[in-house]
Amino acid sequence: MEFIKKLQTIDNRIIYAVMLVCLALPLLFPIGIPLSIAENTQSVYDLIETLGPEHKVILSLDYEPASSPDVHPQAVAVSRHLFERGVQVIYVSFWEAGPMFAEGLIADFTSQYQLEYGKNVVNLGFIAGRETAIRAFGDDMINTAPVDYKNQPTSSLPIMEGVVDAKDIDLFITFSGGSPGVLEWVRQVQAQHNVDLAAGAVTVSVPGFIPFVQSGQLKGLLAGLRGAAEYEVVSGLPGSAVAKMDGQSLGHLAVIMFIVLGNIAYLTTKKDKE
Amino acid sequence: MRREIPVIITFVVGILFLLNNVVAVELGSMSLANIVKELSTWVTVVSAFAVGIASVNLVRVHSRNIGSRRPRWGLSVILVVTFVIFTVVGISASTYKMPWAIPLNQNLFDYIQTPLGSAMFSLIAFYIASAAYRAFRLRSTEATILLISAVLLMLGRAPIGEVIWSKFPTIATWLMNIPNAAGQRAVLIGAAIGGFAVALRVLLGMERGHLGGE
Repeated sequence: MEFIKKLQTIDNRIIYAVMLVCLALPLLFPIGIPLSIAENTQSVYDLIETLGPEHKVILSLDYEPASSPDVHPQAVAVSRHLFERGVQVIYVSFWEAGPMFAEGLIADFTSQYQLEYGKNVVNLGFIAGRETAIRAFGDDMINTAPVDYKNQPTSSLPIMEGVVDAKDIDLFITFSGGSPGVLEWVRQVQAQHNVDLAAGAVTVSVPGFIPFVQSGQLKGLLAGLRGAAEYEVVSGLPGSAVAKMDGQSLGHLAVIMFIVLGNIAYLTTKKDKE
Repeated sequence: MRREIPVIITFVVGILFLLNNVVAVELGSMSLANIVKELSTWVTVVSAFAVGIASVNLVRVHSRNIGSRRPRWGLSVILVVTFVIFTVVGISASTYKMPWAIPLNQNLFDYIQTPLGSAMFSLIAFYIASAAYRAFRLRSTEATILLISAVLLMLGRAPIGEVIWSKFPTIATWLMNIPNAAGQRAVLIGAAIGGFAVALRVLLGMERGHLGGE
């Protein structure tokens, strides 16, 4: 009975140690738990499958290093898919760290897909101003981003030829770690110009964006690291996100186990008191 | 006039933005849409200045900590030194395109800033485990519903849940698409109405907290 009572007050260090083992061990010894594909992830994939070299897509990297483990794998998987299909990709960001992630993606994929900067990929850099900047960007891209991340005039780049406002872009995808992010893109670009918008978001924000998927304002939604893993699987190129899902599974089981133990102890102690 | 002028500017600019969403107006050679577009780009410029002011203030506060030898002033030294290094390397790379700075800037970001930021965010996993263990108790009907929903969602979202029982993902999807979506819609609509009310008060000068001062 004393043991049962002690289950109510497990030392935090024990909880942290168990979580560390559950999250880290599968990285060293992969289990390979199968992964099903959510409808919202499949929607993003199907949308990109309709695009080709004549299409232009804007990827808005609206996250920072803190939220990058949850969102950056989505950007990697989607970028890879777009470059495989030869789509022209325009990176932009309304968070300060976004351009650095874009530079990393361009560097990683340039040799693999023979990318030519300015012709089939460009990094427009960070645009200050949060929601107002997103609105300004949707209304007039060249004047809102007059130079790219390398300080070259945007209007001189072949990829930006014919691009005036949001209607000249075939698909917008925002990878959002907070605000400004999905809500601002829906309000200021999708609603104003009636364009196709998809999103990837940190897991904790996803429930808040489900209404926009149901209303059709978001054509698809990648949910955190699981969304990135699903996209890697559906693309046929499993990567780092899939490798981390085993750890997520064990971590969830560990949390559930602690919740069950705590409640067994709570109910047993409560019964004794009564 | 120190408070009246900002209020007047807020009202005029706000009305222009509001009207632009409702009517198309030609004002001589310019249209309302073009005026609003021009003002939107000014916001980008002002916001960039705000980032600069924040940086200057950060250095000012921590320099004062160092000069006055306040408690833990050593941490302020680390912050200021790191700030200077990142600023010098960043400006050298992006503005002056110095060959030594470009790869160094990216490496500082990829191998120092990103791992440190990710590590801080990752601590949440451990805190959530501890908090869930202590908070999710069957104390009441509402707590029980919350607990069962949380467990079903955790099992539905993790791949292991589908291995245990193939219906867990279906249940999790139903929870997200029906009860969650209904609640989120209510929150979104409520927040939008509340936001509009506050915006109207700011436009009309009834809300002056953003001006600072008294």
